Amino acid sequence: MKGPRVIFLIFFVIFVGILCQGLYNIHPYGEPRVSAMDDYFINNAQSERAANNVVTSIVFDYRGFDTLGEAAVLFTAVMSVAALFRKEE
Amino acid sequence: MMDIAHIAILLMIVISAFFAIWFDNLLNAVISLCVMSLLISLEFYILQAPDVAIAEAGIGAGLTTAIYIMALKACRSSRWPGKGNDKNERS
Amino acid sequence: MRPLSIVVRTICNIFAWFVAIFGAYVILHGHLTPGGGFQGGAIVATFIALLLVAHGGKSFLGWVKKEIFSSFEGAGLVAFVCVGFLGLSTTFLYNFLALKGGLFGSAVPIGPNAGVLNSSGTIALANIAVGLEVVGGLSAILIFMFLGMRYVSEGGKEGVKDDK
Repeated sequence: MKGPRVIFLIFFVIFVGILCQGLYNIHPYGEPRVSAMDDYFINNAQSERAANNVVTSIVFDYRGFDTLGEAAVLFTAVMSVAALFRKEE
Repeated sequence: MMDIAHIAILLMIVISAFFAIWFDNLLNAVISLCVMSLLISLEFYILQAPDVAIAEAGIGAGLTTAIYIMALKACRSSRWPGKGNDKNERS
Repeated sequence: MRPLSIVVRTICNIFAWFVAIFGAYVILHGHLTPGGGFQGGAIVATFIALLLVAHGGKSFLGWVKKEIFSSFEGAGLVAFVCVGFLGLSTTFLYNFLALKGGLFGSAVPIGPNAGVLNSSGTIALANIAVGLEVVGGLSAILIFMFLGMRYVSEGGKEGVKDDK
């Protein structure tokens, strides 16, 4: 067996060990461990921001700067596609 | 009842992901990826995240498949001119 | 790419508009129902892809110019930044229209309900802006890749000859 394959095998075993450790410590489905922020949003978002869809009021208002960055990333992607497929004059 | 549907959808996701890398023909692999995205959106809907489900069904199953097929057609017609519909090519 | 058969084109002419109307509904009701700007924009871009595949690129680019989608994209991003700057008297992206009365300013009842369309302040405006940007951006990606595919398949000598 060659050298790189031994290194791959070692890292694969370490990765599987970490996955098994995480699977051993997994905590049950549907019970968040820390829920203070979720409870704040669920209780107050409808009266503070007057939107029924709490997910949209988080995405576009509480975390609006994140959405601005996401829109800028999409703009950059479209710009790079247009630069790649442009007509060569 | 809900657990059975949940487990069945997860198993079908794994099976379609396996077929996506198992097929030799790239068009079959792209269709298998499309099926996997559709099943993932169904799984998001079962996990009560309809926003993510709509995004996954629109982008993963609709636009990504169209873009992959366009890229595949462009690659075929540029590498093997005149053999675009040959079944025995190593695509 | 040549247009597909008459069966595919007829079905597309009937059913593609339902996709477009559903996408516009998801964008405009983003503050009431699941969805929003990104999801609705992706659905409307799927409508563009359906028309592009069924009718072929030549007749589709005869109907709509591709510069329209680029201008939609830029206008959407600028409108989102402008919505952010309008609330700058408090903070960037502050919701200055909510619960004030007037445009998008009515209150909603607390608890599970059907919702009021004229509510949620700048969230609705930001939804429309991001929806415009995503429609323009994803459609522009599709059309540019389509033109690039024709450029590759013609041997790379002449470029795209017959785009209007």
